[in-house]
Amino acid sequence: MGLGLLASKAIRPTTRLINFQNPNNLFLRTIVSKPELRNPEPAAAQPEQPLVDLSPRTPVGGARVHFPNPDDAIEVFVDGFPVKIPKGFSVLQACEVAGVDIPRFCYHSRLSIAGNCRMCLVEVEKSPKPVASCAMPALPGMKIKTDTPVAKKAREGVMEFLLMNHPLDCPICDQGGECDLQDQSMAFGSDRGRFTEMKRSVVDKNLGPLVKTVMTRCIQCTRCVRFASEVAGVQDLGMLGRGSGEEIGTYVEKLMTSELSGNVIDICPVGALTSKPFAFKARNWELKNTETIDVTDAVGSNIRIDSRGPEVMRIVPRLNEDINEEWISDKTRFCYDGLKRQRLNDPMIRGPDGRFKPVNWREALSVVAEVAHQVKPEEIVGISGKLSDAESMIVLKDFLNRLGSNNVWGEGIGVNTNADLRSGYIMNTSIAGLEKADAFLLVGTQPRVEAAMVNARIRKTVTVNQAKVGYIGPATDFNYDNQHLGTGPQTLIDIAEGRHPFSKIISNAKHPVIIVGGGIFERKDQDAIFAAVETIAKQGNVVRSDWNGLNVLLLHAAQAAALDLGLVPQSENSLESAKFVYLMGADDTNLDKIPKDAFVVYQGHHGDKSVYRANVILPAAAFSEKEGIYENTEGCTQQTWPAVPTVGDSRDDWKIIRALSEVAEVRLPYDTIGGVRARLRTVAPNLVQIDEREPAALPSSLRPTFTQKMDPTPFGVAVENFYMTDAITRASKIMAQCSAMLLKK
Amino acid sequence: MAQAIRNAKVPPNSVNLEEARQRVFGFFRIACRSLPTVMEVYNLYDVATISQLRSTIASEIRRNDHITNPKVIDMLLFKGLEELKNVVNHSKQRHHIVGQYVIGRRGLEQQELASKEQGISNFLKDFYNSNYS
Amino acid sequence: MASVVKSIIDGVKEKGLGGFFRHLKNEGYLRCLPDGNLLQTKIHNIGATLVGVDKFGNKYYEKTENTQYGRHRWVEYAEKTRYNASQVPAEWHGWLHFITDHTGDEVKFVCFLNLFPWKYHMLRKYKPHYNICNEFVLQLLLLKPKRYGVEHKENLSGHGEEFIYHSKGHALNPGQRNWTRYQPWQSTNEP
Repeated sequence: MGLGLLASKAIRPTTRLINFQNPNNLFLRTIVSKPELRNPEPAAAQPEQPLVDLSPRTPVGGARVHFPNPDDAIEVFVDGFPVKIPKGFSVLQACEVAGVDIPRFCYHSRLSIAGNCRMCLVEVEKSPKPVASCAMPALPGMKIKTDTPVAKKAREGVMEFLLMNHPLDCPICDQGGECDLQDQSMAFGSDRGRFTEMKRSVVDKNLGPLVKTVMTRCIQCTRCVRFASEVAGVQDLGMLGRGSGEEIGTYVEKLMTSELSGNVIDICPVGALTSKPFAFKARNWELKNTETIDVTDAVGSNIRIDSRGPEVMRIVPRLNEDINEEWISDKTRFCYDGLKRQRLNDPMIRGPDGRFKPVNWREALSVVAEVAHQVKPEEIVGISGKLSDAESMIVLKDFLNRLGSNNVWGEGIGVNTNADLRSGYIMNTSIAGLEKADAFLLVGTQPRVEAAMVNARIRKTVTVNQAKVGYIGPATDFNYDNQHLGTGPQTLIDIAEGRHPFSKIISNAKHPVIIVGGGIFERKDQDAIFAAVETIAKQGNVVRSDWNGLNVLLLHAAQAAALDLGLVPQSENSLESAKFVYLMGADDTNLDKIPKDAFVVYQGHHGDKSVYRANVILPAAAFSEKEGIYENTEGCTQQTWPAVPTVGDSRDDWKIIRALSEVAEVRLPYDTIGGVRARLRTVAPNLVQIDEREPAALPSSLRPTFTQKMDPTPFGVAVENFYMTDAITRASKIMAQCSAMLLKK
Repeated sequence: MAQAIRNAKVPPNSVNLEEARQRVFGFFRIACRSLPTVMEVYNLYDVATISQLRSTIASEIRRNDHITNPKVIDMLLFKGLEELKNVVNHSKQRHHIVGQYVIGRRGLEQQELASKEQGISNFLKDFYNSNYS
Repeated sequence: MASVVKSIIDGVKEKGLGGFFRHLKNEGYLRCLPDGNLLQTKIHNIGATLVGVDKFGNKYYEKTENTQYGRHRWVEYAEKTRYNASQVPAEWHGWLHFITDHTGDEVKFVCFLNLFPWKYHMLRKYKPHYNICNEFVLQLLLLKPKRYGVEHKENLSGHGEEFIYHSKGHALNPGQRNWTRYQPWQSTNEP
């Protein structure tokens, strides 16, 4: 009140008369107003044009503008600045290209346009009222004005309306500090509201153990509804009711079982949908962000780990157009509390009574080195695990080679795997390239549980291109239309010989894609299956000079790098005749195959399954604590960065093996990570080019042919429980809750 | 006793190595004479003995025994006397003394003795020490 | 005065002389000699009504007529040698300090009623007999949550390190948690 009075005194001529006329002046609140503000006519009525800054502007967020048809570019004027945009752009996108950020709540660049929040209103010349820029297509020669009084008044008004029914929850809302409503009300809203009635409240919905809902805070932007139906493919959420009684929810008390349900948390602009495990744990300004890569599956989604001190508080996706766009699967998002449970923190040796005794590093390494020398070289076996990085795998291979043994392989890689030709085990159509496809043949793979982001891409392609999907394998449910062609290799033979109707679809398609699942590597007849697949590829013209549609979808983060480095088992039963077994994070090997008197060393970060068989435990660092190179299933090399310090007395994997080699007197020639990477470059130079995808040079048709019979057993399911696949997810409480509640039985 | 220490100064003008050497011995004498005060002030009776602390001081001095430049020796003496003054004047606290002079030195010595052959590389030494050397 | 002599003679008759003296000692009359406060309390007790006894044994007296205002309610502590004001529990504190008229055992009665809510109508019937003046207060007392209340403890400062309060990070706090951010692996001893 006081400020308004002062301001009004400054503007009006001060006369004592005012005080004379109204002795109760103190209680009069004068409203400051200027003549321009009093008539909000379109700005075209203004006589003079303000000067426009014509220096080149970068688009908002450093975005790249893609012109699909360069002849079809239009020119519009944003605040007087001319921009060239492609034809189908909306006004909001045109303003973004011009570098002007327009506030919005319901519009999201990857979802369909709703236009119901009205926050993006801008003034367009020759239009009687302000226009919702997200929905209006930009026409050539349009003059768009974003900073006129009309547009500002519109924004303030919309903001005021939105805040009317919004609860005063900021102190207890998890989205405080990163809330769109807070930021936009500070930037574009007015300073005071005029609402004096009672606010409405809405009951909370139960969406599962991952998403916490406080529906009173919902502003009904419908981003979550559009996400669930378009990107995730499940029609779980919907809007019920009309007007101020609108509520978003699942009408039938369903839990959100989709594997992409966690992304709804990022999408919601207010604190209505938040992360349940992260509820009330931290504020976003306390957290340190580290940009790394996820290793729970082979996709290598880019994530940002938010940590506070020595613990990881949450995991949030990073934008990477080629691999995961802006989404991550639930397993990636919520596995972080497995990093805090069941951690190995001290080297331990199993005493004669069978119990583990913690020792220090000197003793542990000396014991291991001693045993390694007592054993014959061909009885030494090394197995690297699902989550191992490329550096540790090459160091393990080097170390065991120096001890005289070549029995090193990566978990999940069978005996007959041919790792010579790279095109035989990576996704030759990159994940982004899947968007061009128009026919899919999925052989023995369930992408929904094996690589959720690849599944999202396939769904995008199916929706946009009307692609046909044929699936061979056990019955599972998909979130897009598919034809279940069969369950076993017999169907493959049928398609290869042209008898199956689907083979015509493949040959008619312009960009056919065949995806073979990584579970094939475990089968004995994998070569026969690959041969059948290649026959299909040859007939359908799947592999051409400009398009390679033959893909293998790997299961673990370490598989691609392991195959690149040549970690393939040499002989069938090297494990059964082993006396010294070095398990580097290998938790899913069949421990019964290891003979009873073998000396097992386990180097890993969780006490999962293999620890119980081990004789010596060497604690290593998990993916969030080390700098490691991982290659994803399409062959793109990425690097993780350490977000938190290592736990207890653990060391980095490659450092342990290097120290062990020195204690065992077969010292390896490198002792910094640069040295390891130089060694990596000699073996597989693509593993040192970080963030670059190296396509396979030679097509896989160069494989030697052979004549092994195909095994008629039907394809199995590689991943039974989506939420519990590796050591970290098995140790996580959130994943246990999810698998109890959210798995379809 | 404390008075003597407060008055002690190291003039930075040793002529030759011999004089610097004498100054070092004088410093060692002053330090050893102040040890009972230190034990009393910081209550180190259960933690260490005077002879242990004396050998700690001696090993610290011996760590720099390879230096020949008298000016450098003067500078080191100055720093050592400053540290001694801080300790005697109770400017430090008990955990500093225990950490720096009792356990620190002793732990390191034990490790030096325990590491069989000094032939291990720096990598291995750092590896045993911590992950982030 | 006469009532005092009478009660002494009755006491001797009942318990016998030795028993009487033992009774005196238990009641704390022997401590009256060195402790003048206790003597004054005992003298004040003559003619006062005993309002109630709490779970520690402290006796609460009230004397409304012929007493100076401000001295009409008092407590006689159970422990006659080591007594201090913090030994009065919460339910009697209000009554003792003239804040309210609800005595401590009334609250106990109400909580007892909480277990048997069907007896509430009996309470209303017998309202004049009990000290409950206000329906609203009764409702509040019925609603009082008991699940996070701890037992009353007197102020133990000065009694030693293990009795006094230490914050949760203090070295001498007995119930210190383990604040490491991770849980190390525990073998479950099954393969």
